[in-house]
Amino acid sequence: MGVVRENWRIFLLIVVLLGSLFALFSPTVAEGGAEAPGVASSGATNLQYGLQLSGGTRIRAPLVGVTAAEVEYGDVETPEAEREVAGRLGDVSVADVIVRPTSETSGTVEVTADGVTPAELGRALDAAGYEYAETRNGVTEETRAQTVDILADKINEAGLSGGTVQQIQTPTGENFILVEVPDANRQRVVDLVNQRGSVRVDAYYPSDGGYEQTTVLERDDFQSIGNAQQGGEGQLPNVPVVVREDVAPRFQQQMSQSGLAGQGGSRCSYTTSPNSTDACLLLIVDGQVVNSFGMSPGLAASMQSGDWAQDPRFVLQTQNFSESRQVAINLRAGALPAQLDIGPDGEGTSSFIAPSQGEQFRIDSLLTGIIAVFAVAGVVFLRYGEVEVALPMIVTALSEVVILLGFAAGIGYPLDLSVIAGFIAVIGTGVDDLIIIADEVMAQGDVNSRRVFQSRFRKAFWVIGAAAATTIIAMSPLAVLSLGDLQGFAIFTILGVVVGVLLTRPAYGDILRALLTRDD
Amino acid sequence: MVAFEVPEIDYTRYTNRQLAAVPLAVLAVALLIIAGWYAATGVPVNPGLEFTGGAEIRVAVDAPDGQARERIQQAFDPAPETIRGVPSDNTYILTFQTEEVGVSALEEQARAAGFEVQSSYTVSPSFGSRTQLLALGGVAFAFLGMSALVFLMFRTFVPSVAVVISAFSDIVIPVALMNVLDIELTLGTVAALLMIIGYSVDSDILLNNHILRRSGEFYESTHRAMRTGVTMTLTSLAAMTVMTIVATLFGIQLLAAIGTVLVFGLSADLMNTYMLNLSLLRWYKYEGVAN
Repeated sequence: MGVVRENWRIFLLIVVLLGSLFALFSPTVAEGGAEAPGVASSGATNLQYGLQLSGGTRIRAPLVGVTAAEVEYGDVETPEAEREVAGRLGDVSVADVIVRPTSETSGTVEVTADGVTPAELGRALDAAGYEYAETRNGVTEETRAQTVDILADKINEAGLSGGTVQQIQTPTGENFILVEVPDANRQRVVDLVNQRGSVRVDAYYPSDGGYEQTTVLERDDFQSIGNAQQGGEGQLPNVPVVVREDVAPRFQQQMSQSGLAGQGGSRCSYTTSPNSTDACLLLIVDGQVVNSFGMSPGLAASMQSGDWAQDPRFVLQTQNFSESRQVAINLRAGALPAQLDIGPDGEGTSSFIAPSQGEQFRIDSLLTGIIAVFAVAGVVFLRYGEVEVALPMIVTALSEVVILLGFAAGIGYPLDLSVIAGFIAVIGTGVDDLIIIADEVMAQGDVNSRRVFQSRFRKAFWVIGAAAATTIIAMSPLAVLSLGDLQGFAIFTILGVVVGVLLTRPAYGDILRALLTRDD
Repeated sequence: MVAFEVPEIDYTRYTNRQLAAVPLAVLAVALLIIAGWYAATGVPVNPGLEFTGGAEIRVAVDAPDGQARERIQQAFDPAPETIRGVPSDNTYILTFQTEEVGVSALEEQARAAGFEVQSSYTVSPSFGSRTQLLALGGVAFAFLGMSALVFLMFRTFVPSVAVVISAFSDIVIPVALMNVLDIELTLGTVAALLMIIGYSVDSDILLNNHILRRSGEFYESTHRAMRTGVTMTLTSLAAMTVMTIVATLFGIQLLAAIGTVLVFGLSADLMNTYMLNLSLLRWYKYEGVAN
């Protein structure tokens, strides 16, 4: 047992190394980690790769909107207040104003239309006679959380597997939405998240010599939404839907009254002659009419007789299949309360890396790392000329990287280029410290007693501790600031220093002692 | 196996003034360059895409180099600001500092010209300027934190100041070199500047520790510290030089940027530690402490 007690640091290092190897290669660990979204796991190891090394699209942007806090709108109902504020803001639609009550008579007011400044919102509230505490850029936490949920749904519905949406806050208090989708085309993701996705169906019918338009179905009115259908055989692509039972009679009645479900149905020619058409149903996405259609005689008859409400199935027709798909996604996921501020004049950033490029980077950066290790090893061998000193040095420094890799695999941290840079930095600082230990221990003649060794080792450790502390201080801003790509770099450099000081460097001391002191 | 030895320098031949003059002169030149740059362009160092906003796309072009560049020039409107070839494969990294055309349009143009889009990256100007502020704040915080830590560790003025000045010079010289060699400030170079703070202080602390906290004659302590310190810096320098070369060949810009700036910083550190820091320590040891 004496050997174990003497060299417990080496044994501890071996145990930790085995644990890391287990985390890296054991298939049992992968089960939990592989589900981690936004990353792709691949190959023989449990390592997960971030977008840079696996390909994919990343979008980071704040939400468009301004907020007024503690608005006193009195005993007005919230929809009423929303209409009031929208009316005072010119061309802002009611859908872009959200009032969230915080008490009986007051709440926060958000405007999520593009181009409204806090000052304009302030003036609108003044004009409406509402008192408020302050107006600011940005939206509320509820809106952000809702947006994140809906965006995640949309990405899932669109079949982009492994996509993630999350909220990030910078230490300076700014909020961003981060969307990461592996393997997908950038444009497709941008299209998906850029669409607010409010879908409604309006009835457009003749009345009193003109035409009237009323909303007859909204997202909440559907009980279920089917998958988009290709159509064919004279049928346009469409989304089959079931209208909710309690809404169906109302809808049926509206259809009859507007003349859509008249004798022999209705034939819609909204696109060619909107001023002389039969009554139409308009499918409207984000305020744009996507398609217009009439009603078949059969359906019209069953609506008139009232039978339809017993089995309230309906189809929303579109011009092409991709529109159908969009409508289905938007109906299922819902409309975004606020939009991501991307685009040339926005405040966001987006990046796309082709999967082939990601894979290439993975191989290339691995090669770069290995070559850097060889360079270090070369200098160390040249300097010491003693395999006994140099070889353990390289092995110890590499074991730090193995431990960090195991850690990354264990917690499912996705590897990116910046993390690889961190590994290289860790090898650099690690070897530096081992050089300090080796030089200190071997200074002034042979180390022939354990006591001499211990005192020299302790001296060396003061410098190592001091150097480690400065590295941690220097890297800590990057680890907490959300500078995107560099966070992984800082986290793994700091982790490497900690692992080194607590584990590997003391173990190297023991190895050296075993090799240099021969008085056992 | 041939072991190299760090040569022993006979410091007694030089006065403190002589020793300090070289690194201080270099620091002064570096500061002048940065000041001149600031006067001429309004920024101390040219910020890259991540800080100014703009778009970058990497395209694969199936043509020999000269022809490929020509085709790239013709394919895009507006024309790319910079075109950089990646030696290891037939790809080109193009940057656009324009706000009128979105990156989607640029991707379209690339595909229309028959190029394969390998990656694309876009940052809006306001996001970029925010990032820049954060990055500079990070560097400042790191430097101040390091300084405070050094003062806490040594608890004496001159040796601590020596470390802090060396570290300052280690950062300033690479920044000046970035201006001279037309390297832009990116997230990678910011990371490298932070790493310089971490790396370069190691050899300074080592030197101070050997001279101040150990028994032994000044020059002997110095030589022992140098043997260790120079080896440390040389290994790091070797690793970073190789990393820079390999990453440049592969077109991995982040790693290449970190490597380049660290090579500058580590070289500057060799000079600053063993000339500037050493001269200050010698002055402190022989004249600063009343004995």
